[in-house]
Amino acid sequence: MTRVSENSSTHALKYALNKSKEKMENLQLKGSTLKSMTRPSDNPMSNVEALTLQSRIKDNEQYIKNADYAELQLNSTEKSIEQVVEILNKAKEIAIAQSSDFYDANIRKNISNEVKQLRNQALSIANKRIGNKYLFGGYKTLTKPFTDQGEYKGDTGKVTLEISKDFFVPINLNGQEVFFTDDDSADSQPDPFKEVGPKDALPPELRKIRDAQEGISNPDNSGRDLASAQPQTEQYRERSNIFSLLDGLTSSLENNDPNFTQSLLEKFDDAIGRLVTMRTKVGSIMNSVESSRVGNEDAKIDAATRKSALVDADVTELFSDITRQQNILKTTYKSSQGLMNQRLLDFLR
Amino acid sequence: MVDILGIGNSGLIAAKKSLETTGHNITNVNTEGYSRQRVHQTTSNPVNSAGIIQGTGVRVRGVDRTHDPFVEKRLQKSIAKESFSRYRHEELSQIENIFNEIDNGGLNNVMNQFYNAFRELSSQPDNETMRSVVRDTANLVAKDFHRIRDSLDTLSRGIDQKLGGEIKDVNALSESITELNIRIANLEAGGDETGDLRDQRDLAVKELSRSFQVHTYEDDKNNFIVSAVGVGTIVAGGQFQELAASGASLNQSSSGMDGSVEVFFKARPSHKITPKFKSGRLASLIKVRNSDIQHLQGKIDDLAFDFANSVNAIHSRGYVGREINLGPNGEAPASDRKGPVTGVNFFKVTPTKDGAAINLELSDEVKADISNIVTAVGPNSPGDNRISLAISKLQHEKFMSGGTATIEEEFLKTVGNVGVEVGKAKLDAEQMEGIRVQVETVKERISGVSLDEETANMVRFQHAYDAAAKVMATANEMFETVLNIKR
Repeated sequence: MTRVSENSSTHALKYALNKSKEKMENLQLKGSTLKSMTRPSDNPMSNVEALTLQSRIKDNEQYIKNADYAELQLNSTEKSIEQVVEILNKAKEIAIAQSSDFYDANIRKNISNEVKQLRNQALSIANKRIGNKYLFGGYKTLTKPFTDQGEYKGDTGKVTLEISKDFFVPINLNGQEVFFTDDDSADSQPDPFKEVGPKDALPPELRKIRDAQEGISNPDNSGRDLASAQPQTEQYRERSNIFSLLDGLTSSLENNDPNFTQSLLEKFDDAIGRLVTMRTKVGSIMNSVESSRVGNEDAKIDAATRKSALVDADVTELFSDITRQQNILKTTYKSSQGLMNQRLLDFLR
Repeated sequence: MVDILGIGNSGLIAAKKSLETTGHNITNVNTEGYSRQRVHQTTSNPVNSAGIIQGTGVRVRGVDRTHDPFVEKRLQKSIAKESFSRYRHEELSQIENIFNEIDNGGLNNVMNQFYNAFRELSSQPDNETMRSVVRDTANLVAKDFHRIRDSLDTLSRGIDQKLGGEIKDVNALSESITELNIRIANLEAGGDETGDLRDQRDLAVKELSRSFQVHTYEDDKNNFIVSAVGVGTIVAGGQFQELAASGASLNQSSSGMDGSVEVFFKARPSHKITPKFKSGRLASLIKVRNSDIQHLQGKIDDLAFDFANSVNAIHSRGYVGREINLGPNGEAPASDRKGPVTGVNFFKVTPTKDGAAINLELSDEVKADISNIVTAVGPNSPGDNRISLAISKLQHEKFMSGGTATIEEEFLKTVGNVGVEVGKAKLDAEQMEGIRVQVETVKERISGVSLDEETANMVRFQHAYDAAAKVMATANEMFETVLNIKR
């Protein structure tokens, strides 16, 4: 037979009561915060996963913001190209009409003014700004990219944006590729580190060694040249220059030279064809921006759902747990009442 | 007939003593560490009267306390273990609070903001507002690194103070155990009862077990010895070794911090015993300070160091975001009137990993002028976003832990570890408490006072007293009968 003393029973009772109350407190904390975790140790793995998800949600929000911005840029670019195509079409119509001997020099002179006006329009499109930013300046977004003579002052910089994890899209066309040459716009996936330096750009001493190996210690010769120096030197590019094309038309009209006007027709066709292709390309980039935005929004919702499953308390379960625990506590109190208040002394009178 | 009186008297004395002891037990029912006492009584020496051996009543041999030394030892051990895991849980929970990001932002959150600020800047590198947003979030990151490292340092210093207080308590307890030893030895030499004093000594030893695991025994000269397991003798009979604690210089410190409190015997100040304690609060505090906190401090410094250097490595390759007057051949000058135009660091360079988190701050250039935040690879390219793009991509670059983890993964690994450790400590603390309560219940079952039992005994002893008095009354009547014969 086990001996029971006053303290042995109160010890056991105190321990049981404390345990019960501790559980109650824990449940009540969950009930007041409605979270299944209040501290990392409640569920370390879920905590870490929830934090990762939180970061992914924030990343996605930023990707969506970037996609919005990319869309704005691409939209303006597309519209501008459309306008240039329209101008070129008008100019081409004029050129077709004027390539016969039907009109005389006077009329041609008048019409040449119209072409000049078209050229000015093209120039204003080329110098278009969004906010204080020039659309067609390459990286030189704060200086006017085209002079009145149609000379390009920008560079061939291609701005890319990350609109979904590791998915970069070009968001600009530089003035040179739109107005001068049929140089392809880059739509391959760039590696942001390749342009900047070694991939694992870490401690400086390590960096120097890698630089020497890869030969890119000086970012100045990383393949980007000032564009304004180039187009004049290359015959081919000169040919597709939209401004010189319009200038050519003007002077052929002024000089009353229908043969030369006719010879320009093919070039107009080339330029229009090239711009239409370019517009299609911009359109397809916009499509991918749009679809990745939708993807990001879906991913954001998925992540939020998962996070809620990890962090938020199951309310029904929680409150049934609280009720159950309350009953347990009540029973403990009742049983201790019987234990504490009865003594042999009460019966010896 | 005189015998009868004597026998009755011995019964009265024994019953009175038993009632006294019962009273002592009842009044001490709630005295901490009290062991119930029993009167040990035997028959008195019989006498040989006229060839007949005859009893002479009862004799009180002594008052014993009911006590099991093995249970006592188990209790001491379980107290030491419980206090180790309880204080470990307590300290680790405070560390956990530093890394708790469930309700509010923390380092993971602001680092994410930082990378996304660069991602946003890369959409509009020519926008001044975005630059200042980048600078603000970078300040937040630096502030949070400071907060974490500073809180860890404060916890470490707090433990230093607790150690000092703990050593004082230990010394006070050793002294009182020593005094009790002397009193017990003196009383026992005079043959007196020492049950109550022994209870007090057991209580003091249990109190000491909270600080470290103790080992107690009595040597062949009856000296009571208390030693700290792994450290050495603390109390030997009437003497005790005083412990001392004082701050050590950085190269002597075991916590990696200047002025950390180290423990040693007062008589041997050069001999450090800080890491030698087993179990108990001392070992718990020392372990948290010297291994858990120190490890985290190192981890946070690593993170801050690699974070700052990875950003700097990319940031310093580009050109600042303001108009630079190029030389005749288009080459950029090394600096203009606002300072250097390339090679600008974003964060101030810290020479060593040690303390990198507490020293993390923006470089003077970036602090002075936001045009020093670099986005472009080449000069005079306000629309060039390649640097900011690359910095934002550092978020997903696995350059930590030998190229296996991103900075976020590395940090979250640390947070995960803290959570796991705290969870383990909590479980340990609960388990150890359960074991301690169990042993304590066993002890109380053996040594504790049961009021019901004492009540029954009281009735019993009162009846014995009444009966013994009756014996004497009977003897008295017998005397009177004899005296009346003559009348």
